Amino acid sequence: MTSYQSELGGGTNVAEELAESQRSISIAEFFEKNKHMLGFDSGARGLVTAVKEAVDNALDATEEAGILPDIYVEITEEGDYYRLVVEDNGPGITKEQLPKVFGKLLYGSRFHVREQKRGQQGIGISAAVLYSQLTSGKPAMITSRTEGDSAAQYFELIIDTDTNEPEISVDTTTTWERPHGTRIELEMEANMRARQQLHDYIKHTAVVNPHARIEFEEPRGRLKFERVTDQLPAETEEIRPHPHGIELGSLIKLLDETDSYSVSGFVQEEFTRVGQKTADSITSAFRDRHFGRELSWRPPERSQIEAAVTDAVANKSKAATATFAQRVGTSTTERDRVAHHELVDIVANAAEHVKEESGATFATTVRKKTVAAVWEAVAAGCESDLARLVDEATTSRKGEPTVGGMARRIATKLEGVERHRLTRDTVATHVDRAAEQTEERDDEPFGETARENVIDAAWSISRTVPDDPPSVRETAADRDTASELLEAMRETDILAPPTDCLAPITNELVEEGLRKEFDADFYAATTRDAEVHGGDPFIVEAGIAYGGDVASEGRIDVLRFANRVPLVYQRGACATSDVIQGINWRNYGLDQPGGSGMPNGSAVVMVHVASTNVPFTSESKDAIANVPEIEDEIELALRSAARDLKGYLKKRRTLEQRQRKRNVIADILPTMADKLADMTERESLAIEDSLARIMNNVLVERTVENDGVRLVVTNHTDRVAELALTDIVSVDPGEIEDATVVEMDGEWFVKWDPSVQSGERAAIEYDVNGNASFDITVDGIEPEKLSINA
Amino acid sequence: MSTNTEPDTDADDSDARERLLDLAADFYDQFAGGEVPSMRIPTRTKSNIEYDEDTEVWVYGDRHSTRSATTVTGAKKLLKAIYVIDFLAQQLDEDRSSTLRELYYLSESWDHETAQFSNQDESNQLIEDLEIVSDVTREDFHMRPEESGATLMGPLHLREQTRRGERAIHCQEDVGEGGYQIPNNPDTIEFLDHDADFILCVETGGMRDRLVENGFDEEHNTIVVHLKGQPARATRRITRRLHDELGLPVVVFTDGDPWSYRIFASVAYGSIKSAHLSEHLATPDARFIGIQPTDIVEYDLPTDPLSDSDVNALENELEDPRFQSSYWTEQIERQLDINKKAEQQALASRGLDFVTDTYLPTRLEAMDVL
Repeated sequence: MTSYQSELGGGTNVAEELAESQRSISIAEFFEKNKHMLGFDSGARGLVTAVKEAVDNALDATEEAGILPDIYVEITEEGDYYRLVVEDNGPGITKEQLPKVFGKLLYGSRFHVREQKRGQQGIGISAAVLYSQLTSGKPAMITSRTEGDSAAQYFELIIDTDTNEPEISVDTTTTWERPHGTRIELEMEANMRARQQLHDYIKHTAVVNPHARIEFEEPRGRLKFERVTDQLPAETEEIRPHPHGIELGSLIKLLDETDSYSVSGFVQEEFTRVGQKTADSITSAFRDRHFGRELSWRPPERSQIEAAVTDAVANKSKAATATFAQRVGTSTTERDRVAHHELVDIVANAAEHVKEESGATFATTVRKKTVAAVWEAVAAGCESDLARLVDEATTSRKGEPTVGGMARRIATKLEGVERHRLTRDTVATHVDRAAEQTEERDDEPFGETARENVIDAAWSISRTVPDDPPSVRETAADRDTASELLEAMRETDILAPPTDCLAPITNELVEEGLRKEFDADFYAATTRDAEVHGGDPFIVEAGIAYGGDVASEGRIDVLRFANRVPLVYQRGACATSDVIQGINWRNYGLDQPGGSGMPNGSAVVMVHVASTNVPFTSESKDAIANVPEIEDEIELALRSAARDLKGYLKKRRTLEQRQRKRNVIADILPTMADKLADMTERESLAIEDSLARIMNNVLVERTVENDGVRLVVTNHTDRVAELALTDIVSVDPGEIEDATVVEMDGEWFVKWDPSVQSGERAAIEYDVNGNASFDITVDGIEPEKLSINA
Repeated sequence: MSTNTEPDTDADDSDARERLLDLAADFYDQFAGGEVPSMRIPTRTKSNIEYDEDTEVWVYGDRHSTRSATTVTGAKKLLKAIYVIDFLAQQLDEDRSSTLRELYYLSESWDHETAQFSNQDESNQLIEDLEIVSDVTREDFHMRPEESGATLMGPLHLREQTRRGERAIHCQEDVGEGGYQIPNNPDTIEFLDHDADFILCVETGGMRDRLVENGFDEEHNTIVVHLKGQPARATRRITRRLHDELGLPVVVFTDGDPWSYRIFASVAYGSIKSAHLSEHLATPDARFIGIQPTDIVEYDLPTDPLSDSDVNALENELEDPRFQSSYWTEQIERQLDINKKAEQQALASRGLDFVTDTYLPTRLEAMDVL
């Protein structure tokens, strides 16, 4: 999941190499070599990337300042080159900030920020600046005006390709109609072959940024997207990195920069979700990796220990030596098992004890000798101890020779290990080797599971050493140590990161955005709760627009977004596409040939993944990687929106059936009525009531008799009908019980909002003088369920 | 619109017309009252026929279904019904008649496409519906079935009212080998005189011809009625009248298979489709001669094995209320047991005269008819 690109995003490998080891090659050379991964591999692609970087930048700048974005993008042909202009209404930019924002390649501050930002998507506008400079030889032209300034500043900026340092070559004032904002103008070698992608990018940006107003002009077209909401995206909290989500380079950088001395303090200070307890767990795991653990063994007979002690001690009084030996013997044999560092403690305690009791001093040298002597005795017993362990850890089918052989071989390997201190990896190596030898020489199988069990058993008798873990400085200085810390952090169980660092679009605005750009019959949107992948929280949102003017030919349209930025390339490689293709859309009423793959029909499906670190499949950040946690959420979000779609389609089908029935019945009934009147030689029949009853409709009828008007609502449905009737009458009807009358321009609006129970009727009556005309509208019920005879 | 009242078979044309128009008026009133037009008809299935103690025939039970315009199919059916009512009323008014098939084709000319019939079963069924709701028989609507009626042969003198005047006919002396053709509406016949002792209904044409060739009708004073498979209404009607009016016993001679038992059942008990007319068409006293499953065994007749559909039909008959007598239960179970069926003509395996010389006389004696 951690792609090369996210390493780039983490600001480690590429950036570091660039900053340190590769200082010797020019930035231009580096760019040339890596332009495919920076999104500038062709002129067409380069233009899309430049627009994308500049627009993302502009949106971020305005939102950060709490300003509703108003963005203007223009592409014009300038001889052999294309000129790109991007303007925003952001807070503007000062001369001091200028090089930071537009200048230094890969020095954007965002690489280290755990916050959902568009800027993370690319490598920043600086790459576009460099691309334009390298292809056209022209500087970037930047106009900026901060609020309240009387004039705008105009800069021309070039990047020194030898030093990677930006230089401001021109710095003057100029006039600019925007009260505040930034305008960047780049000229570059490009072409418009990716016109469709450009349009898609702009249009899709408008969909997920309903709070932005975006205008786009290119030689052959013009797009304009109005703002539909004044609601800015929620401000995101920057969070400290989560221990599970950080990479080695970033960790080293943090270690270099921290004020903490101890690793424990460092992890608590610099990471989210790490308190004292978690820090202790991390430190302990770090120790195990850095120092290894010490294997502990069953102590030998007490007499053996005492003898060893007595042998080791010279030049001390017999009594004192005896007490010392006794003391060491007792303390050691009290324990089930003893590790080397525990022995050191035992000897030290015994020495202190003897000193208090008899005044005899057992100094460092003696103590060391004692420890060595006793440890030799302890270690001598390790083979039989190991035999027991191996026997317990393996199946009963392993014969005595196998068990004994394994124990002997492991013990032999431990001989060279000082203090029997080793990491789990080393234990594993020894066990594996011993197992191989057993298989080779004794011709006895010793498989993976057995080995694992032996390793586990050995590790279970190991003891964490009391040594102080390396300090922050020591850790930072050594890559391997830092790597051990990173491993320790990843190994430790830690709470998922907080999610207030994310700003989803929210389902209302997803729907609003779709509504704005697609004239469909139906919209659905879902915002899922935050989840975590690696150490990064993420939120998935999905939306569907269906029917109406959405193209119905061929496949559905898929809109993909990461942190509000449209993804226009590599659709097939994206997790989003995989998930969509894996869903059985027939269940949800869409046509899907073969029951899998991209469905057909007049639908637009959008998926937005917001995260502090969106995992991509490749350097160019065009496709979301197949991270299971993210795929699951995408599927759930899509299914939720799809369920709404299904409900809508079902209802629509019912209404269509109803309409068809109504058409047939409305055709048959009058014929029947005419025929019957004819046969029975009676007057012709009014059949609206029967019709409404058949259709289970709400019937609105008007009768006019001698200037008396009566409006009757009959509810033949099986539900309460809450109607809003407006009857526009050409003459004054006077006051009406249950209804309100409003006069407008010589017409009287009779408003009546009856609530009619199933099977009941309601009526109003009023008088008109002479000839009156009526115009009735009924709201509050689907037209398919309404019959009007008024 | 009840169905169990005595059909007024003497209803004259204007009476029939009146009843049809009453139906139309009912629909009209439903419309005028803001209701949904509908028509109630007894469910015409096996499970909804019951034995009527008084008339000794099987009639429809209490279960009804409603044809209502609330559904598209219901509305279409009602529209068709109204067109047919209009047509029948007109036909009666003009004293014309037509066949069921003609009605089906005639509907093609109706202005409203939805009113046209999509197949003849539909139009036939609608006529039966109208018979039920109006208590007027098809014959009184002047509707005829397509096929020519069956024939009878025997010592019977009758007078038939034809469109070309009255004809007195003796059904042995005045007819050819083919016998007397039963008219579509046997109620136009008046029986004048007869010499018959009983009526023998025969399923197949081959057997009927054998009986006539062997002079069985003359020898035994028998009126031989040819059923021609499942008997037409006219055939069943005249059988009933011969039995009622001349007091003659009726026996039915068919193949020995489940389908033939149904032929007997419709003669004796009435058919499911026209149970509303059972009283009019069925002859409850009719008795079954054979071929019985026991005959198959006794005479060692050439047989065919029962097919799956035969077995199915027999099992259905075991559940058919009309076959719930000990005689039929025994026969049907016997047949299932031997798993064989035989045709009437299988009797020829014992010689062409076997049926007239031996089989029938033996059976008739056993049944106390001879």
